[in-house]
Amino acid sequence: MTTSPAVVTGATVEVREASKWFGQKVAVSDVTCSFGPGLSGLLGPNGAGKTTLLRMICGLLSPSDGSVSVLGSDPRRDHRVYRRVALVPEEDAVYGFLTARGFVSYAADLSGVSRSGVERAIQTVDLAAAADRPIAGFSKGMRQRAKVAAALVTDPDLLILDEPLNGTDPVQRAHLIDTFRRLGAAGKTLIVSSHVLAEVERMADRVIAIVDGRLAAAGSVLAIRQAMADIPYRIRIDSDDPRTIAANLVATECVTSVAVAGNTLHVETSDLPDLGRRVPQVAKDLGVRLTAFEPEDESLESVFRYLVRRRT
Amino acid sequence: MRAFASMVRVTMRQVVGGRRWIVLGLLALLPAVVMWFASIDPSPPGAFERYNDVPLPTLLLLVVPIVTLVIGSGALGDERRDGTLSFLLLRPIRRSTIAAAKLTAAWLAASLIAGSAGFLASFVLAVRADTWITLAPTLVAVLLATAGYTAVFMVLGHVTSRAVLIGLVYVFVWESGISFAAPSLANVSLSRIGLTAYVGMLPETASALGEPLGALAPGAGGALAKALGIALVCILVGAFLLKRMDATSE
Repeated sequence: MTTSPAVVTGATVEVREASKWFGQKVAVSDVTCSFGPGLSGLLGPNGAGKTTLLRMICGLLSPSDGSVSVLGSDPRRDHRVYRRVALVPEEDAVYGFLTARGFVSYAADLSGVSRSGVERAIQTVDLAAAADRPIAGFSKGMRQRAKVAAALVTDPDLLILDEPLNGTDPVQRAHLIDTFRRLGAAGKTLIVSSHVLAEVERMADRVIAIVDGRLAAAGSVLAIRQAMADIPYRIRIDSDDPRTIAANLVATECVTSVAVAGNTLHVETSDLPDLGRRVPQVAKDLGVRLTAFEPEDESLESVFRYLVRRRT
Repeated sequence: MRAFASMVRVTMRQVVGGRRWIVLGLLALLPAVVMWFASIDPSPPGAFERYNDVPLPTLLLLVVPIVTLVIGSGALGDERRDGTLSFLLLRPIRRSTIAAAKLTAAWLAASLIAGSAGFLASFVLAVRADTWITLAPTLVAVLLATAGYTAVFMVLGHVTSRAVLIGLVYVFVWESGISFAAPSLANVSLSRIGLTAYVGMLPETASALGEPLGALAPGAGGALAKALGIALVCILVGAFLLKRMDATSE
């Protein structure tokens, strides 16, 4: 029996053959995946079906087909599961007339938890200085942090974040990413969706990639990349004589293409370890000085580009 | 209970926020203004009869429906429109509790505005004719009619984003038109809830207002039962819809 990388043991969230369509439009198609403790990234371009999948997991949308289980329950049938679940939605789902403190307190009241955690939640997202101002006057980034605080105040076991870093500045982003990573390390299950690939790469231990409503790939960034054996690795080699190195490498079996741009040589290879051994040796034999040998496509950006290209 | 109270408090601020409060507040002055002008003419009928002829219908057939339409349809409709419905639904709260809290808040807010309209109209009558006889019946009529209207419009606001338009058609075509043209339909008219209570508490006017009531027996008890029944049904329908409908923002 083979185990799909989209499925984990000890899962908090299980999505089984779930589909969702709105009239003629299929938003999510036959997706099977699961999420366990730690921080998982849900990756895909805008319109890929990420938000629909997250809303199905939350129970805000019912699957047209298939099923979703959260902490062992169907969230559409058992609202008690919401004691342990929180969502930070993508849209500006805030009450503009409330202050940040009032908004977080409201979340605590609705979830039946003590208001003693309100200050901690506000401080966690670094919003204490603006806590008594109406949210209507907040910037996009501040609203995002208010939503995160309202989610954190319930101390959820499952935290679902839909594009949580939208509108945040780099300092706030780093702070929130650090917070999410700490929660993941503490054993909470976090699902973070984003179309900004560098964000997911910085946060997530595991990635589920969705393209056109279908599961495109799952696993670690590197594992996803290695699974796509049919796509060559792209390597960037900087040296003081790229043309000489290119002339030597082009004849080797492991290299499928070379391109020179200034002092940079772009190489595509089907056998990365072999190329990794060969290039230093060639440079040494020819007396060429190497300054960089870097994979160009282990970033999620390139993985994602491959996935989209493969589907289309 | 804390969740319920919090929801009521926040919803009240939500449904009368912004310019709504000003617009509805101005509308609430209308019956009093009408009463003032109606009582200027010293010829018969007297100010008390004139109150029943114009300000009372203005209150029960115009002010109450419009105030409850705007506020009631916003109770759940605003949450859906603003994308905050998920904030409520992802809580360990029964859907019926959400619907009940929303209705309570909308009813309180609408009653405050429509009740003020009723009070002001009765106050003008008291100034012009030296009688407070209409005050209690008017306030009871407003509270009960508001409950019925708010409950129906809350559900309407949840199922469609065009609730105000549909509600206006309902108010002017059905409530003010068809149901008055055919007295046999009085039993399915929300405005008659208030009228039956008013007439029941003010027997002297029963003959003057008897016709619009059709076969309905005047009385606050029956009106109260009907208003509570409508509110209960709408809470259950609202809870069912909150449970079954996909929570998509507009």
